Amino acid sequence: MTLQWRLAALKNGLLDATAYRVEFLFEILGSAFVPAAIQWVLWYALFKIGGATEIAGMGYLDMVHYTLMSLLFSQVRGGDHDFELQEMIRSGQLSNYLLRPVGVVEFVYIRGVAPRLFIATVCLILGMGVSASLGLNPLRMLGAMLMALIGNIIHYQIGAALATTAFLWEEAYSILMVKNMVVNLLSGELIPLNLFPESMQWIWKSTPFYLYVYGPTQYALGRWSDIEFLYQLGIAVLWMLGAWALIRITWGLGIKRYLSLGG
Amino acid sequence: MKLPINLPQYLEVYRVQFKNNFVREAVYRTNFLTSVLTDAVWFAIEISLFTVLYSHVNTLAGWTQEQVYFFLGIFFASDALFTVCFQRNFWNFSDLVNKGELDTLLTKPIHPLFLALSRSINLTAGFNLIFGLAIAAKFSKAAGFAGGFHWLEVGVWLLVGVITALLLRFTFSIWVFWTERSWALSRMYYQFFAFATKPDPIYPKVIRYLILTALPFAFIGSVPARALLHGLTQEEYLSLGAVLITFTLLNKFLWNKGLKRYQSASS
Repeated sequence: MTLQWRLAALKNGLLDATAYRVEFLFEILGSAFVPAAIQWVLWYALFKIGGATEIAGMGYLDMVHYTLMSLLFSQVRGGDHDFELQEMIRSGQLSNYLLRPVGVVEFVYIRGVAPRLFIATVCLILGMGVSASLGLNPLRMLGAMLMALIGNIIHYQIGAALATTAFLWEEAYSILMVKNMVVNLLSGELIPLNLFPESMQWIWKSTPFYLYVYGPTQYALGRWSDIEFLYQLGIAVLWMLGAWALIRITWGLGIKRYLSLGG
Repeated sequence: MKLPINLPQYLEVYRVQFKNNFVREAVYRTNFLTSVLTDAVWFAIEISLFTVLYSHVNTLAGWTQEQVYFFLGIFFASDALFTVCFQRNFWNFSDLVNKGELDTLLTKPIHPLFLALSRSINLTAGFNLIFGLAIAAKFSKAAGFAGGFHWLEVGVWLLVGVITALLLRFTFSIWVFWTERSWALSRMYYQFFAFATKPDPIYPKVIRYLILTALPFAFIGSVPARALLHGLTQEEYLSLGAVLITFTLLNKFLWNKGLKRYQSASS
């Protein structure tokens, strides 16, 4: 019974995202190739124009491989369904969901994650092909994709907790935007995080964002051992549990302030 | 000489729009703070990215760290000016066509496009304009900017940046007359906008050529910064003018074609 509404929400989310197929395709193309082109441009400027041979232990080809692989995981980490939560709180639409026998935070996630799961499957197949062509172990892609999917959950959980600020203020849109911008840099989507100088490494290590793109990419490229991967996967699970507790606290407190006329 | 448009009438309409927006923003003070915070974080991230890269190299395609920071200051200021005047209007542009809101504008005795693009003014983004100029000023000397009266040129180049952003954003939005929603194309504009956040000399030839011609994102911040620091060649000035005129004509053509397709609500 409980699985039934979850499957229905998943199907509904996928149909909703793909109703406008051209838009769906544009979104994937735009979010995949432009950031990859920007990354490649940086490597081009550093290595080909600047004449550098190695940066942070990585050569031009290593950087290009990173770009190719991180491109796949960047597609999985996204999803803006936390924005939907803040809009529900702000506009008072949340009331409709509170009357239903489903958890609103989980419902919005399942509906929003549907297109990501589809993209993750495509990326997994592509990634295995890329791994094989680069002489890497394609099976590592399975573990890497698992980590990326856990990253997707953590990303949403943090967003869902931040969205509760809409109970206090008029909206949480800006806070979610700030979160996304920070994630953009600290997930490893723009540059490999080992490029950060030693004195700045603590910045990305103290957030879970590196588990979204940088971690899966490192494992898929064989730069993390299996032991390191399992250790990082454990950390990811801990972050997920911590974020779950955070949602329970913030939503518990937020609902008490909710007036149903808007937060 | 008589102007083809009634300028005082347009200025009066803009004055009223400005006043209305000022009153609205004075009410939503939290919005001011969060807007400033969002942009401050964006600035910090762009600066951090280059800080990380420059921790490994001294120059990037001939640009020193200070020159890149100067470029970022000019780019932020140019983008802030666009945000103040136009950004919110483009977010609502799709609804104008899909929900038939354009009907009301078409009945007014003033150009509908002027009304469509001047209704919302984001005054809080004015703070970011100051912030961007402050960054440019801080690094101007170390970047090799001549300073003095040359600061007057900054105003001209910011205007070039805003006009470019306006033309490009319009080109990406106008397709709403032909597609059901223009959300993905708007999003794509912001994806391509990432090309504007780096100095154009760092790009490989093909991409550089594209962002100086067919998708002139380099005119938003990079070319203005380059013009202020080193000056442009005569060919570059000509190319800049030709590209902007071409985009203006293209947008005018698309707007007229789009209007012919427009069928009021839910077209």
